[in-house]
Amino acid sequence: MNNLWLDIRYALRQLRKSPGFTLTAIVTLALGVGANTAIFTLVHAILLRSLPVADPSQLYRIGDNDDCCIEGGFPGGAGDTGDFTIFSYDLYQYLRSQTPEYAHMAAAQAGQWTWSVRRGEAPAKPVHGEFVSGNYFEALGLKPFAGRLFSDADDTPAAAPTVVLSYQAWQGEYASDPLVVGSTIYVQARPFTIIGVAPPGFFGDRETDSPPELWMPLNTEPYVRGPSSILHHAESHWLYLLGPVRPGVHIPTLQAKISESLRQWIRTRPVLTANGGASITPRQHVILTPAGGGIQNLQQETGKGLQMLMILSTVVLLIACANIANLLLARATARRADIALRTALGAGRRRILRQILTESVLLACIGGFAGLGVAYAGCHMILALAFPGAKYLPIGASPSLPVLGFAFLVSLTTGVLFGAAPAWLSFHAQPAEALRGINRTTRDRSSLPQQALVVFQAALSVVLLAGAILMTKSLARLEHQSFGVATRNRYVLHFDPAGAGYTVDRLPGLYRQIEDRFSALPGVASVSMALYSPLEGDNWGECVIQQGHPAPGPNSHCGSTWDRVSAHFLDSIGVPMVRGRGFTDQDTATSPQVVLVNEAFVKKFFPSQDPIGQHFGIDFVPYSSSFEIVGVFRDFKINNPRDKVRPVYLRPITQQYAGYKEPSMITGEVQSMFMDSIILDFNSPPTDVESLARHTLAGIDPNLPVMDLRTFDAQVAGNFDQERLVARLTSLFGLLALALASVGLYGVMSYFVARRTGEIGIRMALGASRSSVIGMVLRGALWQVLAGLALGVPAALAAGHLMASQLYQVASYDPYALAGAIGVLALCATVAGFIPAHRAAAVEPMQALRNE
Amino acid sequence: MIELKNVERSYKAGHTETWVLRRIGLTIQEGEFLTVMGPSGAGKSSLLNVLALLDDGWAGEYWFGATAVHALNRKQRAEVARSRIGMVFQSYHLLDDLTVAENIDLPLSYKNLPAKERAGMVADILDRFRIVAKKDLYPSQLSGGQQQLVGIARAVVHAPALLLADEPTGNLHSTQAREIMQLFRELNRQGTTIVQVTHSDENARYGSRIVELHDGWLTRDEKLEPKSTEVGAQ
Repeated sequence: MNNLWLDIRYALRQLRKSPGFTLTAIVTLALGVGANTAIFTLVHAILLRSLPVADPSQLYRIGDNDDCCIEGGFPGGAGDTGDFTIFSYDLYQYLRSQTPEYAHMAAAQAGQWTWSVRRGEAPAKPVHGEFVSGNYFEALGLKPFAGRLFSDADDTPAAAPTVVLSYQAWQGEYASDPLVVGSTIYVQARPFTIIGVAPPGFFGDRETDSPPELWMPLNTEPYVRGPSSILHHAESHWLYLLGPVRPGVHIPTLQAKISESLRQWIRTRPVLTANGGASITPRQHVILTPAGGGIQNLQQETGKGLQMLMILSTVVLLIACANIANLLLARATARRADIALRTALGAGRRRILRQILTESVLLACIGGFAGLGVAYAGCHMILALAFPGAKYLPIGASPSLPVLGFAFLVSLTTGVLFGAAPAWLSFHAQPAEALRGINRTTRDRSSLPQQALVVFQAALSVVLLAGAILMTKSLARLEHQSFGVATRNRYVLHFDPAGAGYTVDRLPGLYRQIEDRFSALPGVASVSMALYSPLEGDNWGECVIQQGHPAPGPNSHCGSTWDRVSAHFLDSIGVPMVRGRGFTDQDTATSPQVVLVNEAFVKKFFPSQDPIGQHFGIDFVPYSSSFEIVGVFRDFKINNPRDKVRPVYLRPITQQYAGYKEPSMITGEVQSMFMDSIILDFNSPPTDVESLARHTLAGIDPNLPVMDLRTFDAQVAGNFDQERLVARLTSLFGLLALALASVGLYGVMSYFVARRTGEIGIRMALGASRSSVIGMVLRGALWQVLAGLALGVPAALAAGHLMASQLYQVASYDPYALAGAIGVLALCATVAGFIPAHRAAAVEPMQALRNE
Repeated sequence: MIELKNVERSYKAGHTETWVLRRIGLTIQEGEFLTVMGPSGAGKSSLLNVLALLDDGWAGEYWFGATAVHALNRKQRAEVARSRIGMVFQSYHLLDDLTVAENIDLPLSYKNLPAKERAGMVADILDRFRIVAKKDLYPSQLSGGQQQLVGIARAVVHAPALLLADEPTGNLHSTQAREIMQLFRELNRQGTTIVQVTHSDENARYGSRIVELHDGWLTRDEKLEPKSTEVGAQ
């Protein structure tokens, strides 16, 4: 212990003695450890963290993918794969009654909806809320912070409408009001009683950038959504199921049992078994997944990106380690005499090793401590990039205990890693030789490991740079692809007529007012409304049946996206008609039901036919003549910008189809009458749109809040937040790696020049010109870079292959990315080598020879 | 062959200026074997560095034949040095990572000569200095005398008109020193002009002329009768 303390004191003294070295090493380490810790903070918060619930290890979810938000028939991919993940209320109740192995089987809404919520006379605000089953909090083992949480009694049709607030919302929206429990709030203009506040830290059943601010019992869904309610639609799937499994239950057996129950339930549903559905029923099943970390949608969405970033930051750390190892090697060579003297005085190798490692580990720990600061700042930046505008984000930048432990472990490992090389060198030091002080030799034993480290750094840098170029190119392809819409000078305003208490019969009047008032605003070129606007992340889809065609089978891929829009919608987003006509004032509630379709729709459903005048319907054959195609518009991307343009049809805001008989279809039709988006197209860049829009909307109806307002550009860009984050971080890591590798090369070449000043002097005295000296030093640098490239290029190709799933329209073996990486590295290496080379050329032979 | 007129050299350290060469006027005829002597700090090595064109910071006139060296720029001076001057160092200054043959080839490699021609010149000099058997050895495998022999071979391989030697036997014992000095005499007899710096009176007697420096001033210039010892290089 005493010796260790002595070693620490000696190490501290050594570090104090060389402030330049110490500072360089600490900054390098802080960057390396900081980058890793920042990414690990995210990895821990998103991928590794358990829900803050009683016993996360017992929680199991029925389902394994991110199917969302309301699905009819066989949901998501269940038609193809049989994998059931999302459930109707009826199916939930059935499975719950059949599965006593679950101590509590809870249900939570799959989608994340925003509601208009008002308290007292204050204006309504957009609030994220989630419908959950009455046993939801009990299943998670949560205790209230204030008041009480739901029980099954709250989740019955007859129960009084109640809500539970999240702790964050209570602190934020309700200013920690102690009297909030028992008070009334209005959700979609319907009164609810707040019965309690959830415990602090509980952010819901999944990681998301918009966690629920309030929870409502499932049975209040009809109360809130009126005719749009889906609670009692047995084939409308909209719930995720999870809960604690009783101890001792064999999960595979339980999975098989629930799958069988699912199949039994399907067999009782004629709607599902008709049209070939019975044939795919036997393969319907569920997959039980551990839910200790919650429902893993965000994890599935970001997991690959995060894993890639973790690998990349580890590579940066390795490069940083190589740099410090190089610095320490140079010091070890300079301190050879010191170590030799200690050896000559009787210090054993173990003792010397311990001293060297103490110094490196101490340095690593100081660097790691500084790295926590870098990590904190980096994490803030990453969160702002990844979740712009997120409210109550459940991921913090402050290092938690596991993160601190990780940083310490990384620092410790780093210290041992970069301390190993100089320790190895000291093992092979010949004390007699070192003490003799053979200054006139031009040979240097430490240069080989140093050069090997630079080769290693160059190789890793190529990998990171090539990766960065691939990701940046992929992002550029994504962002600058042709979406088919014009976004310039356009704004998208989201509003919620249902939340303001509007019913379907009052909507036409409201829409007319909105068009008139907004059109009258100065500088507005056109105004339109839509059920949802392009590229906002929403999608409505139905199975299209052409007139005269038989009912499609379960695997027929009859799906088409659709949207309900006002007359000037296509004008307001700059999409031209290519055939027929657009919607006009003559398309009224009583006129024939008309639709506009895109070119992809024509190609899929009416190939080689004139689509104008053709009829089709949705879901069931009797409706197959419901709509008449009156126009074809040019393809544009309405939902996922990464996918090809899907078939799309548009229906007018004025026409509600009254012929449906199935409750779920009637509900869907009613719900589709409630517009969500107002698209404003200005002649020139407007000023202060926000207050203008709020003022105008409030002028129409003070109870109509602006739920969200952003430029169309920002809305489109929002689709690529994750890609942008990964591309920027990859670029940042690439640049960091390049800088570290360049500094490493510069250090080695400077050391080379310093150690060989005598030799350079001799060469110059014998006639070497300055250019030949520069050439000699640059050649020395160049071979290291070339060796690095020889290792790095195959590694970069392999890395590109691993990154393939993250790339958009960029080949994983992209020659430009590789050439770019090589070019940038070569340029930086030349600069890094040229500075010491120039210094070498400035050596005065007379001075160098005198020093010899 | 060489004429120095009023050559001066000083070093500035802070506000003080230290003079190491004062108004040196010196003419060296072709074929001379000149010895520069003087106590430590007298300016001997500084004078040699001026002659070798390793130093640029002097003032005055330096004529190398018809070439006004003082009027040349740095690059032109380097070219003069490369083509017409050879240099022998007290501590040999062989490069440890190069073999004997490669060390000798070094000055030729800076002259853009074809490799074949260079190899022939190196072979000739190895033969002339009787060190063919050692051509593949590294400096660390040679004795001090042998290393200096290689150093001299390297200095004369490109047949310089002027050979400069700074204490060429300073690190050698007396037998080896004598052999080296006889080699210098032989090279001088074959037409090479030599300027050596030495503290040794015995070495000075191998030359044909002695100049002496004190505190940077040239204080003595004396012609000598040639010594009659035979050349006995190894």
